[in-house]
Amino acid sequence: MTIFSSELNAWFQSRLLDQIPLNIAIIDRDYRIVYANEKFRSQFGEWANRKCHQVYQGLDDPCPGCQGMGTFEDGLPRKFEEVVGNRDYYMVQTAPALDLNGDVVYIVSMSENITDIRNHQLECEIFFERVPCYIAVIDRNFDIMRANEKLTETFGDCAGKKCYELYKKRTSACEDCPAALSFLDGGEHTSTHVGILADGGETHYVVTTTPLIKGHTECKYVVEILTDITNIKALEKEKLDAERLAAVGQTVAGLAHSIKNILMGVEGGMYMVSSGIEKDDKARLSRGWDMLQRNISKVSSLVKDFLSFAKGRKPEAKMVNPNTLIDEIMELYSETASGIGVELKRMSRTDVSERPLDPDAIHTCLTNLVSNAIDACQLSTREKSTVLLGVYERDGALVFEVADNGCGMDYDIRKRVFTTFFTTKGGKGTGLGLLTTNKIVQEHGGHINVESSPGDGSIFRIVLPISRLPEIT
Amino acid sequence: MRGDKEIDMNGKNRKILIVDDEPDVVTYLASLLEDNGYRTIKAFNGKEGMELARKELPDLISLDITMPEETGVRMLRNLHDDPATSGIPVVLVTGVDPQYKDFIEHRKQVNPPAAYFEKPIDKELYLRTISNILG
Repeated sequence: MTIFSSELNAWFQSRLLDQIPLNIAIIDRDYRIVYANEKFRSQFGEWANRKCHQVYQGLDDPCPGCQGMGTFEDGLPRKFEEVVGNRDYYMVQTAPALDLNGDVVYIVSMSENITDIRNHQLECEIFFERVPCYIAVIDRNFDIMRANEKLTETFGDCAGKKCYELYKKRTSACEDCPAALSFLDGGEHTSTHVGILADGGETHYVVTTTPLIKGHTECKYVVEILTDITNIKALEKEKLDAERLAAVGQTVAGLAHSIKNILMGVEGGMYMVSSGIEKDDKARLSRGWDMLQRNISKVSSLVKDFLSFAKGRKPEAKMVNPNTLIDEIMELYSETASGIGVELKRMSRTDVSERPLDPDAIHTCLTNLVSNAIDACQLSTREKSTVLLGVYERDGALVFEVADNGCGMDYDIRKRVFTTFFTTKGGKGTGLGLLTTNKIVQEHGGHINVESSPGDGSIFRIVLPISRLPEIT
Repeated sequence: MRGDKEIDMNGKNRKILIVDDEPDVVTYLASLLEDNGYRTIKAFNGKEGMELARKELPDLISLDITMPEETGVRMLRNLHDDPATSGIPVVLVTGVDPQYKDFIEHRKQVNPPAAYFEKPIDKELYLRTISNILG
């Protein structure tokens, strides 16, 4: 059948069909290729007088399940994927070529090698499924559009579920949802969560949310990548427990050391008393008695400090005006301090709101810091030294400050002040004051920072971030 | 040991330096030693102790380890480094763990102590040991 003149035909072939970067073949009802363009020839080789199944697959008979020839039956175009040989993927489209009567005389097959695209897709697929993370794509309603197998294996079937329903069995979005932030600002966000597994167990995971933006359109989807950190959390806990045990060991060793020292004092007292009686030496006897009394009272203060350290109770918080706490300490120490030549002064009073604090515990902390400051002043060579006491709010934190211009601390001492039984006061200190203070401050969600230089004095600040203060009991 | 001096079995005229930050311990040891015929001099930290050791050249030093300011270990080192004091026998009296004994005996920077006592001391053994060292 000739539709066009031969010149036009030649023009169509060389100028048009051969230029098209698709494989084009025209096939008759007997599977014979009656025409193919240059691109087709370069892909499949010589086609003249051959049938399509011979050319494509090297088969003598039509390919099983051939899709293209259906167009002869119903005159409808088709689009399908075909694997040629073992590794080449083609996207094929067929269209009917009609004669003047409207009958299908040929089909036009246009195909394109999509092997690279397919391989790329496969890689993505493998990556999506096999990467050791849970991956889900969610829309603005938190509905899960797609999830990898790992995720459904761990959390259960995701069909028709929202992410928070699947991960946490919640009925509403999480308060600290990073995906919501990604939808809002188009940025990447990360947070740590505790999820509930399909079998009811718990899992700790870090989730990173990345907006899935195509072009400049509004962000419709967010990719959530969840990394399981349950093992890391377990290791962290083991480490903490081990540290705690080590601390208990150190504490017991330190306690034994303190007690041995006191016992030595007690024995000394006993020796002085008994030898005083023997020699009928009243002065010696009373000296021995003093030694006994002093060392017994040391035992009682050690036990008291030790108990307040070991208590490990949760802070019993109630609404307290921090200024009242300062007033109490001022009243308690002003006289004692001035008696030994140290001036205890209040920093200019600032308005601070009532806050949930354990007043007894904070009182203990301030007592420890102020008595340390007074001791430091006594060790100073300065004629008149001062301890400044105050409370204020700064950068979202409640700060108690105790500053002195006493002897100060060098780097070595500053490093050790918060360790068990460390004391610079010889027999006078139990080495538990700052340790207890630190513990109470930590229980209030805060920390202590220290500035000090030898000879100039020290500043101790109890910094309690307001957002982390304990709940009222 | 200082062989150029005359040996006195009762400890008379023998001078012992006691170094401890704990005044009650110093009082106790001093009384105990004086009751047994020794003369004593007292220091309350390693620095004072070292000054007295150089000045008085005692026959023996009874030394505590854990003291604020200068520790007993530091003083042991200083005693070792000074030819005038490196021959003085030192008896350690400390609350530190017994394992410490092995540690301190094998330091190159200090002379091994002549004896080691854990607080609270066995006073008979303490006196007997000192008498043997000086005897």
